[in-house]
Amino acid sequence: MNRAEPAFLRNNMPSRWLAILGLTVLCVSTASAVPSYSRQTGMPCSTCHYAPPELTPFGRNFKLEGYTFTTKAQVTEDKKDHNAALHLLEAFPLSVVFDTSLTATKSPQPGTQNGNFQLPQDVSLFLAGDWTAHIGSFVQVTYDSQGDHFSWDNTDIRYANHGGNLFGKPITYGITLNNNPTVEDLWNSTPAWGFPFVGSNVAPGPSAGALINGGLAQDVAGVGGYAMWNEHWYLAATMYRSEHIGGTQPNDGVGFGINIRGIAPYWRAAWQTSGKNNNLEIGTYGLHVKSTPNAVTGLEDGYTDVAADFQFDHTMPSLKNDVLSIRGTYIRENSSLLATVNAGGAAQVNHHLNTAQTDVEYHFGTKFSGTAGFFDVTGTADPLLFPQMAVSGSANGSPQSNGYILNASWWPEQNVDLAVQYTGYFRFNGAGTNYDGAGRDASGNNAVYVLARFVF
Amino acid sequence: MRELFRRLIQGSILFSLAFSIPMHAQPDAAAIFKTNCVLCHSADGSGNSSTGKALHAKDLRSDEVQKQSDAELSEAITKGKGKMPAFGAKIHPDDVTKLVAYIRGLKK
Repeated sequence: MNRAEPAFLRNNMPSRWLAILGLTVLCVSTASAVPSYSRQTGMPCSTCHYAPPELTPFGRNFKLEGYTFTTKAQVTEDKKDHNAALHLLEAFPLSVVFDTSLTATKSPQPGTQNGNFQLPQDVSLFLAGDWTAHIGSFVQVTYDSQGDHFSWDNTDIRYANHGGNLFGKPITYGITLNNNPTVEDLWNSTPAWGFPFVGSNVAPGPSAGALINGGLAQDVAGVGGYAMWNEHWYLAATMYRSEHIGGTQPNDGVGFGINIRGIAPYWRAAWQTSGKNNNLEIGTYGLHVKSTPNAVTGLEDGYTDVAADFQFDHTMPSLKNDVLSIRGTYIRENSSLLATVNAGGAAQVNHHLNTAQTDVEYHFGTKFSGTAGFFDVTGTADPLLFPQMAVSGSANGSPQSNGYILNASWWPEQNVDLAVQYTGYFRFNGAGTNYDGAGRDASGNNAVYVLARFVF
Repeated sequence: MRELFRRLIQGSILFSLAFSIPMHAQPDAAAIFKTNCVLCHSADGSGNSSTGKALHAKDLRSDEVQKQSDAELSEAITKGKGKMPAFGAKIHPDDVTKLVAYIRGLKK
């Protein structure tokens, strides 16, 4: 997750674009259920998750309330006179996720061995739980076997207050410090926690993706506020600045494709309704970024992402409380790439990108789940922004990719996930056949991914 | 833009302070109830929240709950019952007694 760019990217604008954008379309959630929350609440994983990381209403409220709900022993002292209070968990909230995986693509990537076995693929450590009565965290550092080091991963530290009323209706509100737009969100229809929940880190992925779809993950620092009113209306806003982990501080922008000029506002509005067996959410979110590639002064690129999303979870008492989940999001990105054009990285200033993602999942209790997802990306063709290159490039400069993802997961225990996933492409970087100009077909990137995840 | 950023931060802090100050003025039992019980049972004890509906939390105002003895309610709080976790490690026995009295006060 370290986003400092390798040297070869620094002098090659199109390659840098591909690197930034390629991280985004099939952005994979990198965390699962966190056992320290279970230890803190005394409740099983399934109380918060239909299947990790998909949140139940309880899980959403636990997050909304700042990860602070606990039933366990604390070292406490009440606030009195001029003395401050203390609420400290007796158990330090640490957790581990260990992933090992196998990836095989239909056609090998030239010059590489197919059937890639990683032990581990990655290992995450979490500081996740209650810090004080009103402050809690989801902080993750991840070891990645390709980089062979730990680096900072998703972070959401929040202050929350609940139990108040506004216009006679309950309100819960808080402040979040986070490093990934949508990581603070409560639903699994937005990018940070959306499907696919697990995925390969070696199979080729499409080049183009909207900035909000993982393009800024762990490369920004943000502070924001949120509120849930009357259990129906959720509003959130966060302001981000670039924070390049591993880069020079203060940031000089060198070697990084996105350097936020001023602040980048993120917004979120959602409406939800809950019944005994049904939960529905409909919402919108977006981001506006002004950026100068490779510098912090000079010409600017501009991105505006506007998105809509929905999520529906239906519990079926007649089928032993199996749950059917349907989720989707559509993202429209309009960009003005003046700085990139000036640097020779794009042929035209104005671009747009449309991203549609949807998935349907059936949960057989908490032991099995099967998911089918579909994704489609279309947008402005640009032979400089999406240049010809073996495997990762585009022969016609088009960002169009579409395909499907099938996933089957089995949890023999709630903290052990054994998954098989198949990703199939109809189009990849602009075409179905010979998409890269080097004779590779979109279906050559079809991939089988097998994962064993242990969470403790 | 910097001025806007500064004002938004100030606004967030003032907003938080405005809502948080009254919390500490509430009676003990109400504060204990709010901290530990509202997430599932709602502020009025009805369990009519999204979480309460999903977990089928009991309506604390109902006859089913209110007809239980103080000892039974205390045991449910301390040791847990069904999907409800045990709070015995967190809530002091004296506070459990206060909480039972508070729940009695929720009766329809």
